[in-house]
Amino acid sequence: MKARMLERADVLKIVDLLRQQGYEVFAPFSGRGRDTWFDLVTDENRERIQVHLPNPYYAPKRFVLPHIERLLKIQRSDGEIRIEPTYRERKRAIFGIRSCDLAGIWHLDRFYLGRDFRDVYYEKRRQNLFLMNLVCTDPERDIGEECFCPCADTGPAARDHFDLQLLDLGDEFMAVAGTPAGEALFSQPMFKPGTQAQVEKRHAILGEVRKRFKTTTSWFPATVRYVSQGTILEKTWEEIGNRCLECGGCTYVCPACTCFTVSDRQVGPDEIERVRIWDSCALSGFTRMAGGFNPRRAVHDRRNRRFFRKLAHYFIQRELSMACVGCGRCAAVCHGDVGMPSVVEMIRRATAANDKLEPV
Amino acid sequence: MNCAVQTTSPPSAVTENIYLPKVAVLDRVSDDIPEVKTFYWHFEDAAEQAQFKRFRPGQFAQVSLFGIGEFPASLPPSPTEDETFFTIREVGSCTTALHELKPGEKFAVRGPYGNGFSMEDYYGKNLVFVAGGIGLIPLRSCIVYALKHRDKYQRIQIFYGSKTPNELMYLSNLREWQQSAGVECYLTVDRAADSWSGNVGVVGSLFKKPGVHVPVDNTIAFVCGPPIMFRFVIKDLLAMGFREGDIVSTLERYMKCGVGKCGHCCIGVAYVCVDGPVFTYAQIKKLGEDI
Repeated sequence: MKARMLERADVLKIVDLLRQQGYEVFAPFSGRGRDTWFDLVTDENRERIQVHLPNPYYAPKRFVLPHIERLLKIQRSDGEIRIEPTYRERKRAIFGIRSCDLAGIWHLDRFYLGRDFRDVYYEKRRQNLFLMNLVCTDPERDIGEECFCPCADTGPAARDHFDLQLLDLGDEFMAVAGTPAGEALFSQPMFKPGTQAQVEKRHAILGEVRKRFKTTTSWFPATVRYVSQGTILEKTWEEIGNRCLECGGCTYVCPACTCFTVSDRQVGPDEIERVRIWDSCALSGFTRMAGGFNPRRAVHDRRNRRFFRKLAHYFIQRELSMACVGCGRCAAVCHGDVGMPSVVEMIRRATAANDKLEPV
Repeated sequence: MNCAVQTTSPPSAVTENIYLPKVAVLDRVSDDIPEVKTFYWHFEDAAEQAQFKRFRPGQFAQVSLFGIGEFPASLPPSPTEDETFFTIREVGSCTTALHELKPGEKFAVRGPYGNGFSMEDYYGKNLVFVAGGIGLIPLRSCIVYALKHRDKYQRIQIFYGSKTPNELMYLSNLREWQQSAGVECYLTVDRAADSWSGNVGVVGSLFKKPGVHVPVDNTIAFVCGPPIMFRFVIKDLLAMGFREGDIVSTLERYMKCGVGKCGHCCIGVAYVCVDGPVFTYAQIKKLGEDI
């Protein structure tokens, strides 16, 4: 990958370029305090795009897997039923997606496109998506209290899976292309060749940024081993379950969660639409069958399930990445402090304490 | 990565829409036992019907009711039979809507899904079917299939029990199997009226009846029924010397997609819809959740 340099003042020109190419561009904006979000860029709000800001809680996962998405339109007339799939095929670009969320989308790619059954709705959204990654380098604005991407090995700088990556070197930005689509932008005169000194500066900045993360003790390997071997005590799961308020928040903010429910809703006298809606394994109805039998009743069974699905070696191998990208959103929204970093630590400590030896 | 998506890549060959059901017509309905009916149906499109008919015993389909939703249903027919049908207990909103459907009315089906029983792998073996209540529905497919290919298998035994005599499923099939020379079919009920001359007791009690000899070596046991029956039958079979890997069953779970995406049926390392619904007891034990 070749590095190009870009003047600070020219950064938003990438947004203009993408818009000229017919992309709907989504970029991060900020309100008061911690309030940040991705929004559609218009002529009116272009100037307010933020480059450095806390990563929005509402993850850009929604551009490939919207929280509500229509799958089918079903019409009934004179006893006939007509079923029609509905697709969205608009070209979209995300400006300023963070490395963790990028890893999340890559994880979803394996899940939705890499198995026996390909999900055509996901595929159409994904094929039309341009990803412009921004590396988190500002310890004050980019890196939150809960961020732990160095533990999940997804950041702060993504190594792959972006079309274009920008890294703030101070006076200017270093741009790297990850795909031919990203590389095509380099024909614009605003991109200048980078020098060896600038590449070294990038290394130095990244080395420094890694030290500025506050959460760095989410050591997955041991936990992955314990979860996969099933050596975690029921007592530990119960402790985790006791702290879960069953709100489902962790799953709704997670950039790597995949579960959905399907619902039919009436939109006209003889017309319904079938939609899929994000669902959450934290909720007790998630596994309840018609007739009332629920194989997973206790809340700690459900927590166990969530962390098993995210951390078991079997699934990591199947999807080629862990279903946790270290974004820290679950830790930020959880009222019971059982987000991923806490759980990883609780499991590790409980299992370590379990093997205390008694003196003879 | 072979499946990496590139923004610039040309659109791939048209991906089939895995969530798109095809319109089906209800032909006729037959009453089986209280709350349970059998629905005979066919796809509107003949090509669709021909393709669907390639299902394997033990697979399932997703059934859509207009405006209500979709539910997973076992396939009780054998692929060797002409007609396609579902046998459904009225238990939730979708199944109730299906029970209210009149012949000639339309609904939608997609599938078949799941692994199914590997009936070809069992060639040359004894087959023992143990079913309780409506657990006979998914096993019916295997039994009919096995009898159609009778020369491929050794002994075939059926042990079937229900709560009362009028809750015995597929009566005409049961009579046929009882009279057939190629199969030993034993019935039992938990509670009997005076008109019942057969065995009274749980399914497991049939194994110990005089004259019954269950082969253990070179045998596959198919077990399907309510959780309590399942637990006791497994205990009996293991005590008789069956290996955990030679006992197979089919699981049911809440499902929304049937194709391994929605996540509802995921237990242990398995998605019941794509890795199952058929599992050996050895696998079920490892999954670590109630049946």
